[in-house]
Amino acid sequence: MTIDADLFESMRLELRRGSLVLAVLACLRTERYGYTLRQALAADGLEMEESTLYPLLRRLESQGLLISEWREEEKRKKRFYVLSPGGVSMLERLADEWRGINVSLDKML
Amino acid sequence: MNAKTEDMIDRYLEAVAAQLSPEEREDITAELKDLILSRVEAKEEALGQALSDDEREAILKEIGHPLVVAARYRKGPDSLIGPELFPYWLYGAKAGLLILGAVFALGLVIRLLGGSGHFGQDFGQEIAQAFHGFFGAALTLIGALTLGGAVMEHYGIRPKWLTDWRVKDLGAFGLSDPLTWGVAAKSAGERVQAQSASGRATSAARRPRGRSITGDAIFSALATGLFILWWVGLVNFPGLGFIRVEGELVTVSAAPIWAALFVPVLLYALGQLGIDLFTLIRPGAVRLRAVLSVLSAVAGLWLAWTIFGAGHWFTLSVGTEQARIAGDWVLLDFDRMRTLGDGPRDLVGVASTLSVVMTWVLAFTGLNLLWKIAANAGRSFLPQA
Repeated sequence: MTIDADLFESMRLELRRGSLVLAVLACLRTERYGYTLRQALAADGLEMEESTLYPLLRRLESQGLLISEWREEEKRKKRFYVLSPGGVSMLERLADEWRGINVSLDKML
Repeated sequence: MNAKTEDMIDRYLEAVAAQLSPEEREDITAELKDLILSRVEAKEEALGQALSDDEREAILKEIGHPLVVAARYRKGPDSLIGPELFPYWLYGAKAGLLILGAVFALGLVIRLLGGSGHFGQDFGQEIAQAFHGFFGAALTLIGALTLGGAVMEHYGIRPKWLTDWRVKDLGAFGLSDPLTWGVAAKSAGERVQAQSASGRATSAARRPRGRSITGDAIFSALATGLFILWWVGLVNFPGLGFIRVEGELVTVSAAPIWAALFVPVLLYALGQLGIDLFTLIRPGAVRLRAVLSVLSAVAGLWLAWTIFGAGHWFTLSVGTEQARIAGDWVLLDFDRMRTLGDGPRDLVGVASTLSVVMTWVLAFTGLNLLWKIAANAGRSFLPQA
C-alpha cells in the first residue's frame, strides 16, 4: 500500500504543529536569542522555520509566558528570550498534559 | 559583511516593514536583521568565503516572502473568514444563490410565457438578460456575505444563534438543498394540520410547535436583504420594468409616490432586517421583539396607507400610448374581483385589471399589518420566556 507523500507531509506537519509551543517553552528554560534557539531546536530534531518561530516568540511574550531583553553580543544587538515565572508554570502543566497524551497514545499504538 | 549584503538585506527588510504597524515595525525588523545576518555569517563561516548574490538571496527566500513573513506577525485572524464561520458563509452563499436562481428562473418563465407572440425571437435575449442579472445579483450577494463574515471574523462577533443553537431551529438549513424545499413546506403544513386536528390550544401569542423562530428570521433576513439591495439599485432584476401585452413590450414605470417614499421604504426594510437580525441574536427576547414588530407594523401601515392614498402607482406605456395603474376605495368591490380578467387584453384593459389587483393587495397588506399589530401587542404583555 503506497502512501500519498503530500498527504503524509500535511498530516505530519499537523501532528508537529501542536508540539512546537511546548518545545519552544522547554528550550527557553535557558536564555537564548532567536537564532540560537532555532539551532537548539534543530539539534534536538525539531526544525522550525524562522517565519514561524519569531512571530511565535512575540506571541508567547505578549501572553506573558516569556520575558525578552535587547542586549549587545558579538558586536550586534540581539533580543534574548527566557521563560517568565508564568511561562515556567505553563510549561509544567503542558508537559504533564503531553506525557498524559503520550501514555494514552502508546497504549493505542 | 559588505555593503552589498547590507543593501540587499535592507531592501528585503523595507518590504517587510511596509506591511507592519508603525509601533512594532522597528522592533521586528531589528530582530529579523539580526537573524538574517546570523544566517549569512554562519554560511560564510561554513564555506570559508563571502557569499555570492545568489547565495544571499537564497537565504532570504528560505526565510520567506516579505508579505508572508509580515503576515505571521499580524495580530487578529489569519483569514478573511476562518474555519468557524466558513460553514455559515457557505450556507448563506448556497441558500442565497439558490433563492436568487429560483427568483430569476421564475421571472424568466413568466416573461417567456407572457411574450407568446415573439417567443422564438425573444428567447435568446431573455435568457441572456436573466443570466446577466443573475450573475450581477450573485456577485453582490457573495460580496455582501463576505463583507459581513469578514467583519464578524475581525471583531470576533459570534451571535447567540451560532453558539447556542437548538435542533428545532435547524429547519431553515434545508434551504441550501432545493430538493428539500417542498419536503420542508409539506412537513410544516402537516405539523400545523396535526395541531389543528388534535384541538390543541394555539393562542395568537404562542407559536405552533415545530415552527422555527430563527428559521423564519433567517429566511426573512435573506429576502429583506435582497429587497434592500434591489431597492438601492445594487441588484438588478432584468425584465422587472417590462411586461408583454398582446406581444408588445410594455414599459412599467413607477409613479412619483415611489420616489417620494424612497427613504421611508428603505428605513422600513432596514428596520425589518434589524428585527430579523435581533431575532437571530436574541431569540428568547419575545417581548422586545413583539414591541419592535408593533413599531415596524405601524410604520408599514402608514406606508401602505400613504401609497394607497396616492391613488396612482404605475404607468404602462407603449410608444405614446399610456395607461395608469391606479385605484381608490371604489375598486374594493367584490363584483370587480369576480369579473377580474374578463375585460379586454389591450393596454387599458391590462392596466384596469392590475389596478384592481394592486388595490386589493394594498388592502390585504393593511389588514395583515393590523393583525400583526394586534398579535404582537398581545405578545408584548406576555411574561418573558
